Amino acid sequence: MKTIKHILITAFIFGLMTTSNLVKAQLTEGVFPAAGTPANPKVEATWNHYYNYEGISELTERIAKAHPNLAKRTSIGKSYEGRDIWMLTVSNFKHGNPDRKPAIYIDGNIHSNEIQGAEMALYTAWYLTESFGDVKFIKELLNDKTLYIVPTINPDAREHFMNEANNASTPRSGLKPIDDDGDGLIDEDQPDDLDGDGNITQMRRKNPRGNFRVHPTYPNMMVRVPDDEFGDYELLGSEGIDNDNDGRINEDRVGYYDPNRDWGWNWQPNHIQRGAHKYPFSLPESRAVLDFVMSRPNIAAAQSYHNSGGMILRGPGVEEDKATYTRQDARVYDAIGKVGERLLPGYRYMVVYDDLYDVFGGELDWFYGVRGVFTYSNELWTAYEMFQSKERSATDSYEFNKRLLFGDAIVEWKPYNHPQYGEIEIGGFKKNFGRAHPGFLLEQDAHRNMAFTIYHLYQTPKLTIDEISERNLGGGLREVTAVITNERLMPTHASIDVKNRIMPPDIISIEGATVEAGMIVTNRDLNQTVEQKNRPERLEVDNIPGMSSVTVRWIISGGKNYTVKVDSQKGGLVSKKK
Amino acid sequence: MNISVKILSLFCLVGLLSVSTSTQAQNNTDYRSYSEITAKMKALNNAHKNITELKSVAKTKGGKDVWVLTIGSGDIKNHPAIAVLGGAKASHILGSELTLRFAEQLLSKANTEETKALLASTTFYVFPQINPDAAAQYFASIKYERDGNMSSTDADRDGFFDEDGFDDLNGDKLITMMRVEDLTGKFTAHKDDARVMVKADVSNGEKGRYKIFTEGIDNDKDGKFNEDGEGGVNINQNFSYDFPYFKPGSSENPVSENETRGVLDFLFEEARNTFVVISFGPENNLSTPLKFNRGAASKRVVSGWLSGDIEINKMVSELYNKKTKLGKAPAGNPQQGDLFQWAYYHYGRYSFSTPGWWTPEVKGEGGKPKKFDNAEAQYLAWAEKEGHDVFVDWTEVKHPDFPNQKVEVGGLKPFTMHTPPSEILDSLAQSHTDFILELASMKPSVKLVNFKAEKAGKNLTRITVDVYNDGNLPTASDLGVRNNWVRRVITQIQLDKGLNLLSGEIQSFERSIPGDGYVTKTWLVQGSGKITVKSGSPMTGFVTKEQTIK
Repeated sequence: MKTIKHILITAFIFGLMTTSNLVKAQLTEGVFPAAGTPANPKVEATWNHYYNYEGISELTERIAKAHPNLAKRTSIGKSYEGRDIWMLTVSNFKHGNPDRKPAIYIDGNIHSNEIQGAEMALYTAWYLTESFGDVKFIKELLNDKTLYIVPTINPDAREHFMNEANNASTPRSGLKPIDDDGDGLIDEDQPDDLDGDGNITQMRRKNPRGNFRVHPTYPNMMVRVPDDEFGDYELLGSEGIDNDNDGRINEDRVGYYDPNRDWGWNWQPNHIQRGAHKYPFSLPESRAVLDFVMSRPNIAAAQSYHNSGGMILRGPGVEEDKATYTRQDARVYDAIGKVGERLLPGYRYMVVYDDLYDVFGGELDWFYGVRGVFTYSNELWTAYEMFQSKERSATDSYEFNKRLLFGDAIVEWKPYNHPQYGEIEIGGFKKNFGRAHPGFLLEQDAHRNMAFTIYHLYQTPKLTIDEISERNLGGGLREVTAVITNERLMPTHASIDVKNRIMPPDIISIEGATVEAGMIVTNRDLNQTVEQKNRPERLEVDNIPGMSSVTVRWIISGGKNYTVKVDSQKGGLVSKKK
Repeated sequence: MNISVKILSLFCLVGLLSVSTSTQAQNNTDYRSYSEITAKMKALNNAHKNITELKSVAKTKGGKDVWVLTIGSGDIKNHPAIAVLGGAKASHILGSELTLRFAEQLLSKANTEETKALLASTTFYVFPQINPDAAAQYFASIKYERDGNMSSTDADRDGFFDEDGFDDLNGDKLITMMRVEDLTGKFTAHKDDARVMVKADVSNGEKGRYKIFTEGIDNDKDGKFNEDGEGGVNINQNFSYDFPYFKPGSSENPVSENETRGVLDFLFEEARNTFVVISFGPENNLSTPLKFNRGAASKRVVSGWLSGDIEINKMVSELYNKKTKLGKAPAGNPQQGDLFQWAYYHYGRYSFSTPGWWTPEVKGEGGKPKKFDNAEAQYLAWAEKEGHDVFVDWTEVKHPDFPNQKVEVGGLKPFTMHTPPSEILDSLAQSHTDFILELASMKPSVKLVNFKAEKAGKNLTRITVDVYNDGNLPTASDLGVRNNWVRRVITQIQLDKGLNLLSGEIQSFERSIPGDGYVTKTWLVQGSGKITVKSGSPMTGFVTKEQTIK
């Protein structure tokens, strides 16, 4: 009876799945599959534009609905303005508990203007769920590993970037109102969209004593004249007026704080680190990430997408933390980063404080410092992608706009009568150019960045019990030796983790045997061991290093069909029967 | 914590005897518990509704409120304010009592003209007990000095939580120490007072005879004693400055606790007018001021007080010693992640802290102060003279972890050394209240003086005014000058329609004006009508000056 019921239910579920397949299937007629792209995706999605908050909410929901065994959508918390911060957990839910598999955490858009991190994250979730059935590597990956994907951790200001007047570099902050200039008023002098086109561009004024003139080939480009010449124009900064009549223009915009200076490792206040808010995790969005990450000790890797410049960044963010990143861990970082440079043409693998600038209280240092998680921040989009060349010229963006975008990236200069400056002209690059990818290059970079995070995830620990052997010691005692190997680059505990005991040790236990003694074998050939007196059936190992093995040993007096189990927070669960 | 009193009392040989013969401990029953503090705060608020505001800034895991009582009248958010905080280190229960008594003593004079005037220009934020969950241990049936709140922690980082707490082996309801006779031990009896255990000085021919542990058994059999008891995060090591990562009593992340966040959010968002933070706790820069350390002060991550702030510390310290007359204190060094250092280094305010009380001098023969090389020995000598019973004599117990060794339980009773007898609380609190009120009178205070509107030509008037700090303290500390949360003094001019501003700034900022210092502002205007000059900051109060030009 039970069996029949079971079969019926299975048949019913199968039926449901087939139906939904038929409903969701698309593009099966009239197309021929391209290598590396899901041939028959259940979820229709395109990658040559940007998703707003509603688009992200809808797409994540569709992915989760179409692939209930591969993706689950949850909210990790609310933003300042009360938006849900959506997360997709991607893994094969039918193959082990996703929260006990080695995992990568991926987020995007911490800086609200750096929008395409969300598309990289969404593409990753879409590609993996759609490829699971056809690509063996992806199937194995999702059997072994988990991805926690949060497309945007700054949804309020992502909306602001898209819907309100901004340039490519604003708002960057979140939307909690702050009195930037200390006059007791809040966000009272923001840039103003004087020409009403949704972009904050530049202001210029005709001036025979000015120091700029128009570029002969690219009329939108202003060129500084030599020191001993006068030009025809002066530049007056970003589009805006003195709203509060205090003698300054645009001095108190939305926000302002830097959400990527809000993290609790070597956090410093605003007089040391510009952009810091009140205290570590004083913003609701970073606190939501904190609470989630603290609840998932299986996170071994992390990626936080930014833009721009084409960089694969790792910590430390400041020289003061140089010693925090040990040589051992740097070797792992370097090995993965170097592969990244190959996968991402035009991107360079760099160390934040050494190659970029100083950041106290940044996200990637917190992940490594407090959780021992190997973390990169990719700075998406590089000028290299325009002409696929390392040679740069100041006119590249204007030439690219002209020849490849046919002028779509620029607002032409138009006259405007300004209350403070009088007759001026307004024009310049639109907010969706300069830092965000042009549409036709977005999908390519999404795939390449995903490939890098997949490699990064692939290199989280994979533990295997290589050997369980037995030797009779006589007198009713047997010696059981087990060898556990980590088949990937990353250790189960980064060196900062070992040093500070961040995560509990890896537990190697034997079940079904009467254990008399237990020990860790430090040199098997020379029989060097360290005995663990307390709880010998449950041996504690500080670390299983990458591409290495540990050997443990028990002296047992009973039990035949025993099982050896490994329980590692970042290495997962494995077991093997004798 | 595993209190196994019943079972363990079986092992106790003479413990019961010692309890029954011990005289009453020093009289410190007047210290108030959380519920008494709460009742008192509510009563004060009810009795003084027009000048107080009671608010809970956080709910603890144990369901208790962290209270702040705001005292002041008028535009209380824009008068210079003093924040007084007690009990960040919860076992320092004197701090809570002194803080609460400050509010009581201040409000007891609320009807005097002097106090009315003070409260009309100064605001006080009073937080008597920041870590009520941990402080409750003082009033619990088994007493030990607890600083951790009710967040469960893995203090020894072995993957297990709260698995090895203290055990009351001798059944006296107090957690003291344990000494185990052992040739490999490093401790021996102090030469002047054999009850006190000290590290043997091998280079002076001494040898250790004892191992020392806190009272308890090794519940989790890991070779360590009481290393991971009930709770908790010590709020006084949860602040963001110099956060002690991965240490017992720390949480995994800075500012992780409701208590800490509640206090900080209030101070940042609602109490921006705070110019001084006074905390009662182990740290001390009041009886002895901090010393200037050029290296530490000039680092990028500033870790020493700036020289101008050191001068202020000296001045305030002199005032403290004059008012309290407590004499020389033992060193009260800052702790990693404490409130005291946060208030200066991250909040940018002057931060002053005192234990409030310490062992007084013990007079020897001829009335001369006796010298001690050990603080516990000094305290015991003082207590003996005063007739306070503060020590549990070493008595043998049977201990399951040391079946073949002599184990004795004893030592100083918990809390005693920094919790003075309650009969001196009144005078102790009064001298601290006097100190705080005297400090309040030194507050930064902006005035507009030497105002002039002089004719400067046809239909032109030149306005000049000195923005003067009438207080002894600068309008911002030297470090605060760098920090955006510390508001600058803003000066604004408003002109009627008939007036034109020809020269001078509509709005300007001063990062800091020293005590008794000033800056001169000048404007050139055309026409006639009313001009209004406004100046100040929440930390100095605001003033305005109006003049009509004809």
